Amino acid sequence: MTQFLTGRRFAARAACSLLVLCAAAQPLTSWARVELGAPAGKADATIGCMFPMTGRAAIYGRDSIAGMKLALADLARDGTPAPTLRVLIDDTRSKASYAVRIAEDFIHRDGARFLCGMVSSGVAHAVSQTAQRNRVIMVGTDHASSRLTIEAFHKYYFRVSNDSYTSMAAGARYLAELQRKTGWKRLAFIAPDYDYGHVSWIDLRSNFERLGVKFELVGMFWPKLYEPDYSPYIDALQKAEPEIVVTALWGGDFIAFMKQAASTDFFDRTRLANFDTGANYEVMVALGDKPPKGLIVSARHHNNWPESERNRRFVNDFHEAEGRFPTYAAEGAYSGIMMIAAAIRKAGSATDTDAIVTALEGLHLQLPEDPDGFTSYIDPDTHQIVQMQAVGEVVPDDRFPPARVMVGNWTVYRAEDLSPPPALVRERRSRAAGTADYFP
Amino acid sequence: MTTLYAILIDGMIYASWLFMVAAGLTVIYGVMRILNMAHGSFYSIGAYTGASLVGWYFSGAQGAPYWSYALLLGAALVSGVVVGLLIEQGLLQFMYKRDEILMVIVTYALLLILEDATKLIFGVDPYFTFQPYSLLGRSEIGELTFANYDLALIAVAAVIGAACWLTLNRTHTGKVLRAVIQDREIAIAMGVNVKLMFAATFVVGTTLGAIAGALTAPAISVSPGIGVEVIVLAFAVVVVGGLGSIEGAIVGALLVGITRAAAVHLAPQIELFVIYGVMALVLAVRPQGLFGRDLARKI
Repeated sequence: MTQFLTGRRFAARAACSLLVLCAAAQPLTSWARVELGAPAGKADATIGCMFPMTGRAAIYGRDSIAGMKLALADLARDGTPAPTLRVLIDDTRSKASYAVRIAEDFIHRDGARFLCGMVSSGVAHAVSQTAQRNRVIMVGTDHASSRLTIEAFHKYYFRVSNDSYTSMAAGARYLAELQRKTGWKRLAFIAPDYDYGHVSWIDLRSNFERLGVKFELVGMFWPKLYEPDYSPYIDALQKAEPEIVVTALWGGDFIAFMKQAASTDFFDRTRLANFDTGANYEVMVALGDKPPKGLIVSARHHNNWPESERNRRFVNDFHEAEGRFPTYAAEGAYSGIMMIAAAIRKAGSATDTDAIVTALEGLHLQLPEDPDGFTSYIDPDTHQIVQMQAVGEVVPDDRFPPARVMVGNWTVYRAEDLSPPPALVRERRSRAAGTADYFP
Repeated sequence: MTTLYAILIDGMIYASWLFMVAAGLTVIYGVMRILNMAHGSFYSIGAYTGASLVGWYFSGAQGAPYWSYALLLGAALVSGVVVGLLIEQGLLQFMYKRDEILMVIVTYALLLILEDATKLIFGVDPYFTFQPYSLLGRSEIGELTFANYDLALIAVAAVIGAACWLTLNRTHTGKVLRAVIQDREIAIAMGVNVKLMFAATFVVGTTLGAIAGALTAPAISVSPGIGVEVIVLAFAVVVVGGLGSIEGAIVGALLVGITRAAAVHLAPQIELFVIYGVMALVLAVRPQGLFGRDLARKI
């Protein structure tokens, strides 16, 4: 073994090799923290935002940053006096423990009095507890588990994007109307095996009960998040012969599921519905010009609905700034910044947290997602934003390239019909009291 | 009956994928005694290069769509060989006399570095290149339809398994490799160029990982993190089969694949549990794995 190097030379060469490789990987670390808005010391308020900026959900982080830049620009050109905001953004790496550490740093080192963002409901649960412990306001922009505003509700948590209850309420209404037309009876459900997937089912079932929809549940499936192979689930679904499959798979998982299912006769027998994330722009792009037939989809924001001046301006501004069209994450983050600014303005203080909480409760704010004649508002009981939702089918539409299809044939639901009734909120909270889901 | 054959076919498809992912890992451990934590990164590199090349090919409508399969394999071969050789020659060859645990730490560091390097090169947006997946059409077996691409993966995995086994057991190179596995120092004394053998083995292992990634790319959304996810499953398979055994990897993959398919069809709630349940059960009964051999400690 004389060809092997001696210990000292070996150590030196190994260290050099590792250093070179580490240097190559270094720029990624420097992308991690982003600062927008006013510099430290000149801002009325500091907002610490957390998004995944690496990993599979990075596209949501990237679009959220772009959405927040648009919000700051809109505040600056608004004409009415607006608070100067300093926005710090860091990468959660989609890990709850890591996000909590960032949140603590934002609060204690940077003096942030607001936390915002988060794509994963699991991460948001952990950061929400941090916000409550430190008495800072958290504004959720892109996670959807209704548990956060119901069972795990506390006074410092607010959410400005549709949650799983809203989406499933719209979905249940759509399916109820479809049942009256087609008489479908057999339904299956497939969702990722974590909080968001399970809560989505609870919300769908509760809305079916509320509407009196009768159906036979022929299968429930829980693939892990980022599952590469859906073939056994697709076979099991085919075998169960549902007329409707509702899914809460999202992002690349939803696309992979559809593409794999499209190579079977799944779509010849079944209609697939995704009411919370299925109409996201990235999904539309991935569908190409031959989408599976029978898709029923919605999302937390659409580039082509509502056809209002406000929404057109938001989408066009985003496209002009970024050279691409936004996913729904952009509108959520935009709304978060606008909502915080409006609350500070209404409270007349950027430091009186209780006054800002009071200002946020019931705050009305016109957002890109609002059709003409409706204004989004925060429900004081749940701190969840109340918005209209549109569900539709996939139709050819080349106005938002590279997507060649978009959602059309809309059915629009009133915001008031999509909020959980107070009795249900009370029941879910009292059932969770004393369990791990509950930390008031 | 439908359930039974659905479980068998789904299990075989998943097992094929698992075996392709695990084959390179077990080959490297068998010959070099390196538990290559960076194996998932080679899977990821293969997936990214394959998806990028096929995406480019279809975006320009350069020629017959069936050439995309050649592109997938070509991308995997080139990326697996080039990156594998660079890492073996630039780093690992200086550490062969070191403890196995140190090699785990070094290859784990490599995994982290390669994951970040992949993001730097390919970005963080997902790649969707489904054309090769849908190109092969579908087959009806009984009441169910299956994607022919998935069925073809069973054949590809069988070819890879047979090639590995035949090379190790029926060729001169295989005999030399087995001599190195049995006793490295005696092999050197007999004039075997162990350094060359190690380099070749590592490159074969990394290329197998890249091929698995490239062939999986058309069925999934290729995005950061896919390498880290598969390494856990690949370890489960090789641990069940016995570290360093090709036969063990085949049996381990089949066991995990069919059990997982049975869980999906019969008890979906425990699907995640059964994969690791099988691993725990096998380790409790045979800590060295189904095909692993007890090794006497050298004093």
